Amino acid sequence: MRYKLDIDTNIDNVLNESSADIVYEVEQDIDHSKRNFLKGAATVGGLSIAPGVMLYQTASAKPNEQAVSNQQRWGMLIDTNLCQEDCDACVTACNEENGLWDLGRPTTDAQWIRKLNIKDKQTGHVTSLPMMCQHCEHPPCVDVCPTGASFKRADGIVLVNAHTCIGCRYCMMACPYKARSFIHEPLVDQLPHAPRGKGCVESCTLCVHKVDRGDNNTACAEACNKDGHKALLFGDLNDPNSDISKQLEKHGGVQIRADLNLNTGVRYQGL
Amino acid sequence: MREFIVKNYIYILLAVVLVCCVIGITIVYADSPADIPPPKQKYNEETVCVEPVEVMRKKHFDFVLDHRDKTVIDGIRTKKHSLIECIDCHITASAEGEYARYSQETHFCASCHQYAAVTIDCFQCHADRPEEAIRKKMNPNQTVGRTQEQKINSYLHLSSVKHH
Repeated sequence: MRYKLDIDTNIDNVLNESSADIVYEVEQDIDHSKRNFLKGAATVGGLSIAPGVMLYQTASAKPNEQAVSNQQRWGMLIDTNLCQEDCDACVTACNEENGLWDLGRPTTDAQWIRKLNIKDKQTGHVTSLPMMCQHCEHPPCVDVCPTGASFKRADGIVLVNAHTCIGCRYCMMACPYKARSFIHEPLVDQLPHAPRGKGCVESCTLCVHKVDRGDNNTACAEACNKDGHKALLFGDLNDPNSDISKQLEKHGGVQIRADLNLNTGVRYQGL
Repeated sequence: MREFIVKNYIYILLAVVLVCCVIGITIVYADSPADIPPPKQKYNEETVCVEPVEVMRKKHFDFVLDHRDKTVIDGIRTKKHSLIECIDCHITASAEGEYARYSQETHFCASCHQYAAVTIDCFQCHADRPEEAIRKKMNPNQTVGRTQEQKINSYLHLSSVKHH
């Protein structure tokens, strides 16, 4: 109602001064009032839904036909204090999800995520952590790729475009985390959402098919939660309201090899 | 004899033509793909597939090629020209419950590619059968029938060979 009054007074002004500039001003005012009305409506709508539900909807709903954008940056937070030394649920879940069938050759079998146990020689304390592609903001694998097959998606996920990969393995050399694997032999029975084949390099995709589907989680994090360890937390680093951002704000998280200034999307606690 | 041939040459000619026709038809039909299981559903009544069938026959590769870059690079996951959806709809189980592989001529894609002598690399990496068919093979608990079981055993044998 107040806006209507504003417009009315402005129209009076227009009539009095009959200036084109002021007519423009009136139009702007109308726009402004419209915008305010919409804003109000959105707030009322937002309040009527539980905050948790709203958050979930905004975070996961990407229509299929919409390209990914840098509004999101997907990342993961790993709490090494919660990670169990003898557990490899994340590795098993990853293999199962992406169809990484074991060929019985451990030295060359594909490995998208692996478990590391690091022992402090002085104290004897063992830290256990999963290691995979760190989804760097400035990925060295992308820098060295001669064909552009290694690339970073707009939402921060580092991938290999197997259609252009020539299998030179420069990226495997460049990666400080040894995150990538090469497929040495012909494969069969790949899963539809995870195509993979001989002569290409591959690595953790941050379960890109699940992310695009709106699952808002990865297979490894799901498996870790299911086992009750809750050491892996997946989320949007750009969204200040996401669990991962809140955790990082509260307790912080370190990058492995932070000295390389890669700004990794995977962060660790307890190291 | 010569007289007989001259007298009945028209009948002999007819007989020869008839025999040639029978042989020709047998050859043609023996070469045509046998028993390709029908697709799951029609995309719509008018075009049947996602595009009219004549267009799909000539241009299906253009569609998947265009869609491939959109999906890999931009994360666009529309279903219309997605290879997964092609496979999901066109590769169905035969009466025996078996899903054809690309190496078999009863596979929908292979049935034409083999005939036209087209070599593609898609299925070196991409799944040539729907996910349920692949998962079924991997999980022994879900399988039925003896041949399937044998396949799993051979697969398990392959995985249990460890190099020390």
